[in-house]
Amino acid sequence: MSYAEPSRKRRWLAGLAALVVAALAAVELFFPASPVGEIVAIIDANYVRSVLRLTVPIAFAALGGIFAEKSGVINIGLEGLLIISAFTSIAVAGVISGGTPSQFQLWIGFWVAVLASVLFALLFAVICIEFKADQIIAGLAVWLIALGLAPFASKVIWGQVNSPPVATLNNFDLLVVEANPPVVMMLISVPAAWYALNRTSFGRWIEASGENPKALDTVGVDVRKVRYAGVLLSGFFSGLGGAGLALGRVGQFIGGGATMVNGRGWIGITAYLFGNYNPLGAFGASFLFASLDALQIRLQQLGYNIPSELIGIIPYVTVVVVLAFVGHTRIPAAAGDHYESGEE
Amino acid sequence: MAKIDEGKRRMLKIGGAGLVGTGLAGCLGGGGGGGGETTTESGGDSTESGDGTTEETTTESEPTNVGMVYATGGLGDNSFNDMAHKGIKQAASEFDVEFKNAEPSSPGDVATLQRKFARSNNPDYDLISCIGFVQTSALKENAKRFSDQKFMVVDSVVERENVASYTFKEHQGSFQVGHLAGLLTSKKDFSAGAGQTNGDLKVGFVGGKEVPLIKKFEAGFKAGVKHANSDVTVSSAYAGAWSDPGKGQSIANSMYNKGADIVYHAAGGTGNGVFKAAQKQGRFAIGVDSDQSKSLTKYSDVILASMVKSVDEAVYRSVERTRNGNFKGGSVQSLGLEKDGVAAVYGKDLGSEIPDSVKSSLDSSREKIIAGDIEVPTKPENV
Repeated sequence: MSYAEPSRKRRWLAGLAALVVAALAAVELFFPASPVGEIVAIIDANYVRSVLRLTVPIAFAALGGIFAEKSGVINIGLEGLLIISAFTSIAVAGVISGGTPSQFQLWIGFWVAVLASVLFALLFAVICIEFKADQIIAGLAVWLIALGLAPFASKVIWGQVNSPPVATLNNFDLLVVEANPPVVMMLISVPAAWYALNRTSFGRWIEASGENPKALDTVGVDVRKVRYAGVLLSGFFSGLGGAGLALGRVGQFIGGGATMVNGRGWIGITAYLFGNYNPLGAFGASFLFASLDALQIRLQQLGYNIPSELIGIIPYVTVVVVLAFVGHTRIPAAAGDHYESGEE
Repeated sequence: MAKIDEGKRRMLKIGGAGLVGTGLAGCLGGGGGGGGETTTESGGDSTESGDGTTEETTTESEPTNVGMVYATGGLGDNSFNDMAHKGIKQAASEFDVEFKNAEPSSPGDVATLQRKFARSNNPDYDLISCIGFVQTSALKENAKRFSDQKFMVVDSVVERENVASYTFKEHQGSFQVGHLAGLLTSKKDFSAGAGQTNGDLKVGFVGGKEVPLIKKFEAGFKAGVKHANSDVTVSSAYAGAWSDPGKGQSIANSMYNKGADIVYHAAGGTGNGVFKAAQKQGRFAIGVDSDQSKSLTKYSDVILASMVKSVDEAVYRSVERTRNGNFKGGSVQSLGLEKDGVAAVYGKDLGSEIPDSVKSSLDSSREKIIAGDIEVPTKPENV
């Protein structure tokens, strides 16, 4: 695999993107009334803020997916983990407070939800690692169980699939901007995840566990433990994403149809594949998908009617194109395989 | 240990993504969307029958048995299904009626539940109520198969001799709330509860999925706004989902940020995000289907009004008629503003703060619509 080629290609792409942005800015400056100017005018501080908030669950799911898959366990149950944590956060905050949670109780709900997601991921890890279940099937099961369990539990608690609304986490002042807690967590988590994967020995173990578990085993690191860590981290990050969506933004659990998570976990998977297992790339892809969605919403209001269904499939089309044609996304060699240590 | 080659793994992933696409499509289908241009308007006058005079016409002493098949949201949805349930309970308390509820967990269950009621001999169901558009295709089959069984369907039309169809003129009710929004946004400094208007002449509409049924809401709303003040612009957007409040919130936020001060939603659970955004931004919203200021009390300080569809009335009426021997198979009842089939219901907290002049304007436009002096379009492009 040659590394020089893609990086030059990427530099080209970056240059091209910068040119496009500059051209659009020029249009906006000199021809503010043209349709292009109208569209460019959409992009302001409110737009970026809105996109960042839309990015939260997608990017967290993507970060989680990276850790699990790099360690060798493909976790396609991220959507399910988001649903579980979204539900748990609202349920816990609502139940401990009797319906009107304080900020402190909201934070309890938030962290219990993260814990619930980690426990669910642990269950998935045990099934995949100890019982050697097929990871794809087990991952689908995680999703399907969450999809049924959360609305069911809602009915038990509230007598209906939708929870009553509760308050959301307060924004706080960070330097000059008003910061949304889950957004701040995301902006910290992305570089932290990148650092952990690329600059620490834990990151190297994760990498080795997915690429060549035998070698890792040979140097005396327990592959099982590394894989457990990878999957539990996927639960942790998905938990942040789901609870961030429910408590950082919406303040309610909606259990009908595809639930309020509505496919964000799946888009997270496409985001990390598109980002080639790099947390920064995955964040970039999540941000891109979220910004397309936000753009589409605003174009509709201007009367440019792009069906939302069409925008909705962009992530999936992108990932197919990237996997099939661009081909720089390389799945870890041992991902999906069980590893049996030599020593009995 | 099975060694899966890389190609196969890729296939699995892509397959997974594909499966998700179809899976989600399947899941989302049930939300209550869909619907064609239905109303053929038969017998607005025939609805007069049997007002309170049911005792005389009842000849049989046996109770009327009614099987209720709800839409996929299930009971406890604070709107559609709960309204239907309310209607059958009302009928049961007034007449000698016994009913049984069935809640399908997916659109696929609907046909089975309909059949189960139709086949039953103990009790033999006099009427099977099918609630929601989701029932349509299953009912077409079953009405043909069980041609002696009486059915009624809400929100859809099935043209068979043994099916009575009930639809709503959602555009008329939406016109009313549009009229309200147009009048209030024209007032620079109207404030009530947690919201206030701004100087901009802008309001918004958020739809769930872009289907003809929801387009009727949009069309009526736009026409109503225009009727109030033709300078007011309406921005509208569809979320593409019934259960995504996060998306509803970001759509509403973008509208409020661009100067809208009142947003009307017809988007099911997605619409809850609209209320959230209204509350955060100190603006107003308008609810749908049921009085949402009562079902979502946390947001009652921003809900000006709700466009209520009286599904309960449709269910109640069909049971009453079945008892009277007056069941009109093959007919389509289209319930409009007249007799409050649809209505703009003011929010429980904000209703009292809406100026009387606005309310009386709404009353007069309501009368004009009923009298036919105002024709409300059903397609947004005809506004």
